[in-house]
Amino acid sequence: MSSVPALRTDDLGKRYGSTWALRGCTLEIPTGSVTALVGPNGAGKTTLLQLAVGLSRPTCGSVAVLGRSPQEQPRELLPRIGFVAQEHPLHRGFTISETLELGRRLNPRWDGDAARERIDRVGLPLGQKVGKLSGGQQAQVALTLALAKRPELLLLDEPVAALDPLARREFLNSVLEAVSESGVTVVLSSHIVADLERVCDHLVILAGAHTQLAAPIDGILASHPLLTGPRSDAAAVARAHDVIRESHTARQTSLLVRTDRHVYDASWESHEIDLEEIVLAYLGQGRSHFPARETHAEAVAG
Amino acid sequence: MIWVAWRQQRTESLIAAGILALLAVLLVPTGLDMASAYHHAGLTACAGHEASGSCGDAVRAFVSRFEQIGNVIAWLTLVPGLIGVLLAAPFVLQLEHGTHRLDWTQSVTRGRWIGGKLGLAIAAALLAALAFTLLMVWWRAPLVHLQGRMEPGIFDSEGVVVFGYTLFALGLALAAGALWRRAVPSLVVGFAGYFAARLFVETWLRQRLLSSHTATWALDRAAPANLTHAWVLTGYPSDKSGHVAALPCPGIHGPGPRLTLLPKCLATQDVAGYMHAIYHPASSFWALQGLETGLFGGVAVVLIAFAAWRTHSHAA
Amino acid sequence: MIEFHLETRSGVPAYLQLVQQVRQAVRLGILQPGDQLPTVKEVVTRLTINPNTVLRAYRQLDHEGLVEGRRGVGTFVGGDAPPLPPDDVKELRSSLQRWIARARAAGLDEENMAALFADTVRPPVISKVA
Repeated sequence: MSSVPALRTDDLGKRYGSTWALRGCTLEIPTGSVTALVGPNGAGKTTLLQLAVGLSRPTCGSVAVLGRSPQEQPRELLPRIGFVAQEHPLHRGFTISETLELGRRLNPRWDGDAARERIDRVGLPLGQKVGKLSGGQQAQVALTLALAKRPELLLLDEPVAALDPLARREFLNSVLEAVSESGVTVVLSSHIVADLERVCDHLVILAGAHTQLAAPIDGILASHPLLTGPRSDAAAVARAHDVIRESHTARQTSLLVRTDRHVYDASWESHEIDLEEIVLAYLGQGRSHFPARETHAEAVAG
Repeated sequence: MIWVAWRQQRTESLIAAGILALLAVLLVPTGLDMASAYHHAGLTACAGHEASGSCGDAVRAFVSRFEQIGNVIAWLTLVPGLIGVLLAAPFVLQLEHGTHRLDWTQSVTRGRWIGGKLGLAIAAALLAALAFTLLMVWWRAPLVHLQGRMEPGIFDSEGVVVFGYTLFALGLALAAGALWRRAVPSLVVGFAGYFAARLFVETWLRQRLLSSHTATWALDRAAPANLTHAWVLTGYPSDKSGHVAALPCPGIHGPGPRLTLLPKCLATQDVAGYMHAIYHPASSFWALQGLETGLFGGVAVVLIAFAAWRTHSHAA
Repeated sequence: MIEFHLETRSGVPAYLQLVQQVRQAVRLGILQPGDQLPTVKEVVTRLTINPNTVLRAYRQLDHEGLVEGRRGVGTFVGGDAPPLPPDDVKELRSSLQRWIARARAAGLDEENMAALFADTVRPPVISKVA
């Protein structure tokens, strides 16, 4: 596995007019991982991916893809990055075959046989006009286009948002097959949280244009216990650990904390909750907790 | 990139070609008709002295027969604007649908993409302008021989101005499209802008591009040779001492006077005095063509450059 | 050939579920020595899970000696799958039966028994210091 992270940002920010679409984003995505980029709409997921592929320029901070800057070295990087934009835009009047031809002519490295074989496997006729395909089929064509250039990094912006469950499952299957065949690093943005745990091994949560969390999934489950106990205030716990979410009923208090240490407090009972709940808790907060770099380093060490 | 740019432009290019083909189908029969009538009436020999004798009658007959169609055909001057705007459509539609993001992440840089697409659109526009001009010049040839080509409505489909017009319409639609990234408003603005600009130039600006000439001659003499096939802006008669007088001849006063009607009218009257005319001579044809083409073409270049710059530097 | 399945809400990590299913299959004779496990790609397609998860499971099974991976060929069930000593199993079963009888007498139904077992058998994430 290469030591150069597939994607690395450093205090990355992008402003449109007076609105910050992304701010203070610092994270590292290791090569070979399948990372979920999660957050509500408007959280900056699309902005981050567009900055990574060079479609826009950072307002501040920096982004490095496979060790290089996408702004300064597009010729070097674009052939190595596969990108599927939101709603997988394709030329509606083109046939599938012409779409692949476009890819062949615009990319220096192109595996046409693999592309045709993949289209065949998905059961689509090459002469069909793209505009006549269903959403799931178009997503598959867009994915084929992105994979046929044999990228080292695959960036997918909400690829399954508008798809029915079966099409979603097939699309993710295709992505994972590509990972097992070629070891391509994948960053997959989504506002659907289910399915993440089995597909991804790394997670980045963006909310309110900030990075809330960036860590391997394995570590997250262990480091986010839910503490329950009789109704009390969270101050004591909050002094020692980061409280992600707190809720109270008349008799009981629940605290979701982030910690790498044991909670030495007899008054609390701890439970392990599932990933979806943890993610939702972060999304509910919308504030920044800690620099993501620290988290990754801790998780690696811990 | 060329194949990609062509394929993305294919539909609109074929429509433009279809429009030109349709024009040809409509114009060729009347054009052939007119050419043969011209030869049969022996009018070739009449060029240069249309007013006199038998030529005068034959010419008048010919002109009155084909003039109406000529006036209708003059409206075809909107076609270059239509084609220019049409050829801008693929570029603007791509920006609207976001498919430029697809192309830009296929390892082609923005610069190369913009250059390829705009270059091909410009080439197609020039080709269409050429086809249009050739067709119109051929069709109008007999009438031009008899009446010259300085008159508005004729001037704008002769020479090289059509190249300027087409590029201007293309540039305007592209600039609007690069700014708004929405096809329908951009194309509408492109065509409306073309129409407004053409109207403005045709009715006001063109005559001021060069300084006009003035001619004065006694009514009992023939009009000076300089006025043959000239674009007469305005004419007025005066009495012997130079005061503006009135002549009982319709159509020779004011703007766009039909001075060719003068001899016939005077033959039935007995008046003394002078006729004055403000005009651009036929020899100014290429100067005016150059100026007007330069004007439209120059603005087109600026607009296209803006469209390229805006697309290149704006967020994806 | 074994066919894997995943229980997403069981709280058991995916790779461990795969490991357990292979162990179970070997025990029950569904997988015989020399049988080939599904390729990583096949499992990924079947379950839509991360390939690294499958690799991790197969590595663990290899480490336990249950399977062996042959480069370029596949992963095969090893011949030296340690059989469970039958006497140990017999003894554990009878002590379990006695425990069940006591639990039932104390008023626990099957569900309560299962919960108690699950709670006790899983290592605690955060230790409670009494």
